[in-house]
Amino acid sequence: MSCDDVARDLEAYVDRELDADSIAAIRSHIGACASCRQRVAEREALGRLVRSVPYRVAPDRLRARVVADVERRRSLYQWIAWATAAVLIVSLGAAIIFVRSATVRSDALVADLVDSHVRSLLADHLFDVQSTDQHTVKPWFLGKLDFSPPVIDLTPTGFPLVGGRLDYLSGRPIAALIYQRQKHTINVFVWPASNQGSAPRERAIRGFNVRHWVHDGMSFWAVSDLNEAELNEFVRAFQMAPA
Amino acid sequence: MPSRGFEEVVLPHLDAAYNYARWLTRNDAEAEDVVQDACVRAMRFLPSLRDDDARPWLLAIVRNVWYSRAARRAGSPERLPFETATYDPPDRAPDPEARLLQQQSVGQVREALEQLPPDFREVVVLREFEEMSYKAIASVIGVPIGTVMSRLARARDRLSALLRSGPLPMERCR
Repeated sequence: MSCDDVARDLEAYVDRELDADSIAAIRSHIGACASCRQRVAEREALGRLVRSVPYRVAPDRLRARVVADVERRRSLYQWIAWATAAVLIVSLGAAIIFVRSATVRSDALVADLVDSHVRSLLADHLFDVQSTDQHTVKPWFLGKLDFSPPVIDLTPTGFPLVGGRLDYLSGRPIAALIYQRQKHTINVFVWPASNQGSAPRERAIRGFNVRHWVHDGMSFWAVSDLNEAELNEFVRAFQMAPA
Repeated sequence: MPSRGFEEVVLPHLDAAYNYARWLTRNDAEAEDVVQDACVRAMRFLPSLRDDDARPWLLAIVRNVWYSRAARRAGSPERLPFETATYDPPDRAPDPEARLLQQQSVGQVREALEQLPPDFREVVVLREFEEMSYKAIASVIGVPIGTVMSRLARARDRLSALLRSGPLPMERCR
């Protein structure tokens, strides 16, 4: 240990930041070196001198101010917590009402679709264009709608396309594609989807089965008196078929 | 709750906060304002404290409050011009001078300490009055431990020079 080493570790030594080995090394050096002993003694004297200046404690009025501040803020935070809880409860209520009204709206939509299906059978207005050829049906919609519904012939899977029709629902014209299974008629209503999948996928209403799906931004609703299994088969065939 | 535990966690260090703020500000009223502001911030940030030692954490807040107040008031607080303030430590003092050092009155020591630039003053205060480790001091002032040590060395050299010779001309002009 040299005098330079002592100079380097001087602060750490007087501040007791050194490990035991370094402390021992410095002790043995200053035992033999008067000038380093002097340096250390000065530093220690300086420390004692500084510590002789009285510590200034916080005045009582400051303590009182801080405590009062904390109390005031604590009640403010409590108020904020209550207000937050109230806002949460109100939003939750609003969310429930919103979801329920959405359900009511989708119930109304399904009822309208079934009505439309029934009307198409009653009034002898099943087709606007009667064709089993998808290449006849699809162009027919051009100029009548602001979208082009996918028209797929499902004859190979036992659901022949029989025609297309313009329909009107919720204030907009929509496409209806008509398919046949033996004596059963399937109406597939198509329009651009406005929101994704909030409506239920499967419904049954007044003996009619309703299936709903969304694909490529289009909302599809299949309505028929066909039994559930066969209607599901139709939906699968429709979804699997190349457009 | 944001304020839970303030009494147990922060209030025990109020004296330390005040002593430190008083040395930084060199003014009773301003020290009280700084501490009060710091306590409000401490209350708000208390949830982020976790299990760390609250004292360096609170003192770091005190320091930030003081610096931002000083910056608002004067553009920037007096900072030590490290680049220009070259300072030659005094020659090793012989015994008579060491004795002289010990004859200083408390008032003179306080005055000398207040004349130190704040960056020097605060490391001495945190070390000698708060008896903080270098690590804790480093966390209060936001510098590496090695910087704490070198700053302490220079601060003490400067302080003993002040105590031997009275205020340096440079300090008087400030």
